[in-house]
This record gives sequence, structure tokens and C-alpha cells, in this order.
Amino acid sequence: MNKSIPPALKVENLHKSFGKVEVIKGISMTANKGDVITILGASGSGKSTFLRCINLLETPNSGEVTIGGETIAMKIGKNNNYMPANIKQVERLRSRLSMVFQGFNLWSHMTVLENIIEAPIYVQKESKAKAIKNAKYLLNKVGLSDRSDYYPSHLSGGQQQRVAIARALAMNPDIMLFDEPTSALDPELVGEVLTVMRDLAEEGRTMLVVTHEMSFAKDVSTKTIFLDQGNICEQGCPSDLFTNPKTPEFKKFLTRSFV
Amino acid sequence: MAEKTLSSFEKFIKYIDSILPLEIELIINNFDRFIYGVGITLELTILSLIIGFLLAVPMAVARSSQHAILSPIIWCYTYVFRGTPLLVQTYLIYYGLGQFQFIKNSWVWDSILSSAWWCALIAFTLNTAAYTTELLHGAINDTPKGEVEAAIASGHSYFGRIRRIILPSAFRRAIPAYSNEVIFMLHGSVVASTITLQDVLGVGRWLNGRYYLAYEGFITAALLYFAIVFGITRIFRMVERKYLKYLQ
Amino acid sequence: MNLIWEYRQQLVDGTLVTIQLALASLIIAILFGLLGAMGKLSSNRIANMMAGIYTTAVRGVPDLVLILLVFYGGQEIINTIGKATDWWKYVEINQFMAGTCTIGVIFGAYYTETFRGAIMAIPKGQIEAGVAVGMNKFLVFRHIIWPQMIRYALPGFSNNWLVQIKTTALVSVIGLQDLVYNAFVAGRSTHLLFIFMFASLVIFLLMTAISDLLLTLLNRKYSKGMVRT
Repeated sequence: MNKSIPPALKVENLHKSFGKVEVIKGISMTANKGDVITILGASGSGKSTFLRCINLLETPNSGEVTIGGETIAMKIGKNNNYMPANIKQVERLRSRLSMVFQGFNLWSHMTVLENIIEAPIYVQKESKAKAIKNAKYLLNKVGLSDRSDYYPSHLSGGQQQRVAIARALAMNPDIMLFDEPTSALDPELVGEVLTVMRDLAEEGRTMLVVTHEMSFAKDVSTKTIFLDQGNICEQGCPSDLFTNPKTPEFKKFLTRSFV
Repeated sequence: MAEKTLSSFEKFIKYIDSILPLEIELIINNFDRFIYGVGITLELTILSLIIGFLLAVPMAVARSSQHAILSPIIWCYTYVFRGTPLLVQTYLIYYGLGQFQFIKNSWVWDSILSSAWWCALIAFTLNTAAYTTELLHGAINDTPKGEVEAAIASGHSYFGRIRRIILPSAFRRAIPAYSNEVIFMLHGSVVASTITLQDVLGVGRWLNGRYYLAYEGFITAALLYFAIVFGITRIFRMVERKYLKYLQ
Repeated sequence: MNLIWEYRQQLVDGTLVTIQLALASLIIAILFGLLGAMGKLSSNRIANMMAGIYTTAVRGVPDLVLILLVFYGGQEIINTIGKATDWWKYVEINQFMAGTCTIGVIFGAYYTETFRGAIMAIPKGQIEAGVAVGMNKFLVFRHIIWPQMIRYALPGFSNNWLVQIKTTALVSVIGLQDLVYNAFVAGRSTHLLFIFMFASLVIFLLMTAISDLLLTLLNRKYSKGMVRT
């Protein structure tokens, strides 16, 4: 066994509560390089929270996250809360993960181009010329090279989300996290975003995708995880999972989703 | 040629003078004083706005940080300065501090606190800093949460987010409210005339006192202030057009 | 401290004058504000223009300039007109009148914007619904526009009112024996200007803080049933 290649992402026994409500009840999973993992679940199943715990947008209550073999160091803080021990480490690792949000979250006061070059220049300390060159390449890739000087508010939702994907790609991340990237879009705009995501999957990008798009899960992902009430209810190869659901919860979820 | 235009100009003034119940000639003859007054008014207003803004930025950030000690202290400061008249604040500094012998004996008295100009500048600066702090604090709080999250997720540090994302966007959103603050400060600067300074209103009051007039000096001052406000409004319209393009 | 106690009557008297001035000018300001808002929203072009000139002029000229102009100039104009027409005899404008009227008219311009915004914030459909059930213009105003206008205008009103209280301090410049004037005189005669100016600062702070508190409570009461966004 080759010890020098650790999994791209390893999550161990992750718990997260909001007040007294436990949303994530001990989830463990592993993603290897090139995996496209879709995470399904009814609303309230904790799937978005799980994703947000991976880059510590939410601080988990316990558990371990390891990115490319490096475990995020955690400690018990003053008020007895679980928290990152070294914020610099977290910031460094965050720049190797990148996230695409449901609400796009483009920086509204910056143009499309400025949005894309922001993190490469100011977090990853790249040269401006190089960042711009890369941004132009990525904009071309998501089909928006003619929009680089637009402000986000002047773009359609689908275009904004494609810019957000370009922004995420600009950091050349090891893993991309997608938090329901098409849920806020009008139905006719979903396709253009999914096409871009499909291309990324084919390139061999490591992706974690929380989504409601069954067709994407079925056709594109290499692995599907179904969450129910904060637990992994079922997981495996999507072709098996979708044709042969084992638990009644997943069965119910599938029939509802395809109606 | 020059003489001729001058005399016809004088004729014109005499004519205007004769049909208006105003001593136009006196205003014209003392216009250089008014120009000087505009200088004092602008000097005090602009300097206090600049220094006040520079003080307000870190205070607004600290106030928004929910820091257990800094945040309430800054809140108290802004509450007191926003809850009391600028006139009283200015009197307190200009007339009030002289009550204390130890201040009168120190070097600050001779070089700064005995001067009406410095006292006005200090009072105006503290006043506008308080308003600007609250205004920026509001704008910082209104930063869309998702945009901050996106900054966190892309690895920006705490100060990196403030510097690159939160403040640039808060500054832009604060422009309309800040333009009001600028006009408010210009209006407030007339307080300078109550502590002997010859700002625009100070000159107006001097003119009326000197020639026993009832309104010439005040009307001239009013028109000059109006012109300055008009200019400020124009400038801010241009600034808004440039920096708020992304909102339209 | 003892000296403040000795001069307490001056401070109390001054505070009362300041409160009277603020309240009297508030009434004028609300009247002018309503008139101004009507002018701005009216379809009559002249009313529109007049309201526009009114708010622009007030925004362009500092309060103290107008107070001085009205106090010194106003008296002369009125008496010049009186002499020329023989309609009235010598009139004297006192400081209180000049201050009340000027501050009232000035803040009327700010309330104009507040009221205009509040009326415009009322969903048009509600007014149409009123008309549709057969209400006349007066009923629509009384039952639909007015109660909601108060609700929408309260935040802006609170803001203006707090500024208005502080603006009354300027009237001390024309010699009205308000809080600032009395504190100044007491401070000068006792050589304790800091103490007395500080006392007046604290009293002003109390006035604005109490107003702020009451208006916040009122606002909470009136915003019941409003969806928070």
C-alpha cells in the first residue's frame, strides 16, 4: 500500500449541535482524489451543516477533519467549547478547499474579474498578472469571458453561480465544496451550472456536492451519501444505490424526489 | 477699458442698491472678508471630517467586533457625543477647560487649548467621529452575511476580511448617509462663530455689528453656505455615481 | 457641587425654557412637515415646486444663520412693512418667538421628507382597497393612511426629534435664557464654566436619552403586526 498518498479528505466522527438540537450525529467519511461525492437528504437532514463543518464555517462540537493528510488541530476553549487551536492553520487549509454557495455570495462591490482574483492575490499571494491571466482562462471555461467587467448584480443567477465556480477554481483547490449550488436558481438556469460542474467532474476534480439534482447524483457522481436526521443512512455507488435502495427512508426520499 | 468696465460695474451696483432694500455696496466692499470666512469654514469642516473619519474607522470596526470591553466604551462615547449639542461640547472645551489651573499651566494651554480655532477643531472632530462611527458601524453590520462567509471560506484572515471585503463594501454603502453627515458638519461649523472665530457666519455677524445692519451679513452668509452645500451635493452625486454603480 | 446646588434654580428654569422651546417648535414643525409632504406628493406643479424649494433651502443654510436672520432681520422687515402700510404698529419679536418659529420651520423641512417617505411606504393596494369599499378621500386618510403613516414615520421622526432637541441650544446665541445660556452665565460668575457646561451637557443627554427610550417603546408598540424582514 502506498502510504505517501493520503485521502484528499477524511472526516471522523463529526458531531454538531445548535443549542440542544443535535444536527450531525457522528458522521465519518473519506474522499479520495478525483472522487465526486454527492450528499443527498431531505431538508433538515444536516447535509449543508455537514459541508460547512468541513471548512469550519460551522465549528463542530467534536470530531476530526483531515485534509490531504493534515488534521485540523482542535482544542477545548475557555467556555468549554470545541474550537480550532490554530486559526492560521485553518485559514491555510481553507484556501485549499473552496466553496460554492447556494446564494452565490459574490462580493457585490467587486467586478467579476475582481471577485476571481481576490483570493489568489490576497490569500495565496500570487502576482496580479498571473491571477488575471488565470481568471480570464477560467471565465472562458465557464463561458463568461465577455462579462469580466460586470458587477454581480448585473448578471443572471446562473451567470453569477458560474462566476462563483470560477472564483472557487481560481484558488486551484484540492477539494471543491458545493452547497446546493442550483437550489436558488430558476429552473431554466439550472442546466448551465450543471454543465460546468459536469465538466469539472470529468477533469478529475475532487468534489463534494450537496444537491437536490438527482440526475447529477446518478450520472456524474462516483459515490452518493444519503443523510437522514444527522446520520449517514445509506452510501455507495450511485448506480447501485438508486436502483436498489435498502432503507425505507431512502426509498421514501427517492419516490418523493422523482414525482 | 478696464476703468470703463469698472465704473459701469459700479453703476450697476449702485442701481441694484437703489432698488433693493439691502446695502449691496457694503457686502461687495467686504467681500474679501467673506472669502476669508469661507476659508475658515471649509478648513475647520474638512479637517474635522478627515480626522474624524480616520478615528471612526477603527472605532467602528471595534464597535462591530462585539469586543467585551472596547465595544461598550465606544458605544458610550458615541452616545454622549450624539446625544448632546455641538454648541455645548464646543463651549465645554473652549470655555470649560480654562477652569482648571493645571491645564492653564501646562504647555497644551498655550499652544492649543487657548486658541478658539484648535478648540473648534477638537470639538468638531470628536463630534463627527462619533456620528461617523455609528454610521460605519451600521454599514458594517449590513454587510451581507454570505459575502463574509465567502471571504472566510476562501481563507481570508480576520483582518484580511475587514480590509478587503467588509470595509470596502461598507464604505460604499455608507456614502449616501455620509454625504448627510458632511452637510450636517458644515451646518454645525457655524458654532465656530460663537467662540470668536471669523468663519462665514462670523464675518456676517461682524458686518452687521460694524454697520448696524439687520440682515445683510446673514443673507450673504446664508447664500455662501447654500453655495457650499450645493457644491458638496454635486460632488457626492459624482462619487455615488462612480462607487455605487454596482447597486444600480 | 455646592455651587451647582446654589444655582439649581437657574438650571431648572433654563431646562424648562429649552423643553418649552423644543415642544412649541415641534408643533410648528409637524404642521409644516405635513404641509410639505402634501406639497411634495401633490399633483399640482406649483405646490410641488414650493415644497421642493422649501426643503432645498433649509438643507442648504445652517440653522443658526436662519435664527439670526429671523431674529434681527425679521423684526426689521415686519416693522418696515408695518410702517409703509400702516397695518400694524411697532412689533417686537422676542427670542422665544424667533427661536420657536425658525426651528419649527427648519425641522418642518426634515419632517417633510419623513412624512413623504412614510406615505409612500404604504402599499398602494391598501388605499385602492379603501376606495373600492366606498370610502371617500377623508375616510381613506383617516382610517388607512394616517394610522400607517405614524408607524412608518416613527423611526425618522425619532431621529429628527433628537436633532431638534439639540438644535434648541443655538437659541442661547440670540440671548434666550435657556439651559445653555443660564449654565454659561452661572459658570462665568462662579468661574466654574466646566462644571456648569458639563451639567448642561448631562441634562441634554438626559432629555435625548429619555426621548429615545420613549420613542423606542412607542415604535415597538406601533410596529406590531409588521413583518420583520
